[in-house]
Amino acid sequence: MSSMAAGRRGSRVGSALRWVFLVVVGLFFAVPMLAMARFAFQNVPTALLTPDRLLTGWSASGLWTAATDPRVLSSTRTSLLLVVLAIALNLALLLPLAIVTEVRAPRLRPALTALTLLPWVIPPVALVVGVAATFRVAVPWFLASNLSLVPFYALWAMPFTYRVLDAGLQAIGARTLYEAARSMGASLWTVVFRVLLPNMRAAVVAAACLTAAMVLGEFAFASLLLKNTLPTVMVEYQRSDPRGGLALALFVMVLTALTLGTAVRMLRRRGMSISTTGM
Amino acid sequence: MAAVEMTGIEKAFGPSVALSDFSVSIESGELVCLLGPSGCGKTTALRILAGFERPDRGSVVVGGRDVSDDPPERRRFGMVFQDYSLFPNLTARQNIEFGLKVQKRPAAERTDVVDRMIAVTALDEHADKYPHQMSGGQKQRVALARAIATSPRVLLLDEPLSALDAKVRETLRDEIRRLQQEIGVTTVFVTHDQHEALAVSDRVGVMSNGRLEQLAPPRELYLNPANAFVAGFIGTVNRADAIGQADGRWRVLGRLLDGTHASHSGAEEVAAIRPEQVAVDLDGPGTVVSVSFLGPITRVIVDDPDAGHVIADLISADAADLRPGAAVRVRLRDDVDRVVLIGRRA
Repeated sequence: MSSMAAGRRGSRVGSALRWVFLVVVGLFFAVPMLAMARFAFQNVPTALLTPDRLLTGWSASGLWTAATDPRVLSSTRTSLLLVVLAIALNLALLLPLAIVTEVRAPRLRPALTALTLLPWVIPPVALVVGVAATFRVAVPWFLASNLSLVPFYALWAMPFTYRVLDAGLQAIGARTLYEAARSMGASLWTVVFRVLLPNMRAAVVAAACLTAAMVLGEFAFASLLLKNTLPTVMVEYQRSDPRGGLALALFVMVLTALTLGTAVRMLRRRGMSISTTGM
Repeated sequence: MAAVEMTGIEKAFGPSVALSDFSVSIESGELVCLLGPSGCGKTTALRILAGFERPDRGSVVVGGRDVSDDPPERRRFGMVFQDYSLFPNLTARQNIEFGLKVQKRPAAERTDVVDRMIAVTALDEHADKYPHQMSGGQKQRVALARAIATSPRVLLLDEPLSALDAKVRETLRDEIRRLQQEIGVTTVFVTHDQHEALAVSDRVGVMSNGRLEQLAPPRELYLNPANAFVAGFIGTVNRADAIGQADGRWRVLGRLLDGTHASHSGAEEVAAIRPEQVAVDLDGPGTVVSVSFLGPITRVIVDDPDAGHVIADLISADAADLRPGAAVRVRLRDDVDRVVLIGRRA
């Protein structure tokens, strides 16, 4: 009896500790966000903020001004185009690679897993300097275009997306599905388009969402290559209008989170599960 | 001409040898089980037959044609996997239809074949369900229907019942045998379950360490095991001393009997005695160690001063008086007139 009581007490303490941990971590993230939101949307200096003025001076005009700024609009268009192209390039490279490795050369999986981590080992500065030095000589027009960021972003997102796609393949048991389809006379193309891809929609959407989130928040590559993307323009804008800049940053962050959350919920509703095993 | 002939197959994965001089010949319409412990090479043999693995040496001939270099999709085999491998995005009906679509059969023929498959596998109520909405047994029936829908030349079953619970396993096992006999398809069934193998097969191939130890009908395999491994792997066996006599007979558990020389090593000094060949009489030098009631039979283990631990399966009605600790004598039943000699006692 005493051991049961001790066990119950232990589990209650464990549960309480879990809640304390969750609250502390929640506050760690929430407090700066709330402070940021107050600074961005309430036009009352912190020194003058008293309890009776908590609900006064709130306005979204800073956000509206920032969001309608021509530089912001133009860079948003650029970033959205970069998102689409980076997702396309990333999937075009990694999807066939992950599928062929899984079904035809599973022994190469560990090597590929290690290889896809390389973009994180090499810092953006080294990557940009190395690539820029080569491309400036070979194809000078390439670095002049905003689209020169696409290969960098595709490469930068690779560690995430490869793992998501690989987890998707593992989750559906791709190798045995491939063998089952082959034994019925299906060619590799038939297997890929009629069996594997339809069952990997969740993983593909997850990989696309992750790439989108990374591109919308990436600063280093764009700054080093002197490109006007949404993050670089937001930093610039913040220097001239700190309130509007922060409001815009908060808005973009919330919008991205909501978009990703909605995508995941839609997939779940359709019976697909987002798996990020191995990340 | 045999429907399937695998000759001199050798296969190694790095330093580990999976198959060594593996040869098997399967007649048309026959169901052959490859049986053996984990890692004995049975699945590798099946995968080589299916075309998923290439042998290092040897040939695979199907219907008189060497298919060793043919990829799986050209062999026209049907395969059922342990984990079902149903396509999750397709319903049961669409799964069954998949192979027919790949073969570009006309729509009317496809519908006709799928309806027939659904009927013979009793899937009428589940035809429009997705795999995640079905039980393990239902999924495996869909996998079976899918594999035979394309009228394969050979049906390959890779431990198809291993993931199912005992009751479903038994039902599906009988269903597989019924279907196989109905359509008369040559079938290779891989399993590690001896009961399954003995129940469904025309012949059973017992494998060990990449070698085929014996290929024979279940009854012969049980009654005349080729060696100690087969004797030990199929059913339960007692190893009793067999003492050779001048007249060529053998003295085993106090009886003089003819012996079948199973081993070719010429060192026959141990006889394989099945538990049902042993009788237990009250009063004697031995002691009953345990008595296990198993329904129609009762398994009794006796510690005999000469023969060591002897397992006896007795009709339960005859074993009612036996209790642990009772003094007993073990002997061979009167209807046993021959023993199988399986080698030298270690």
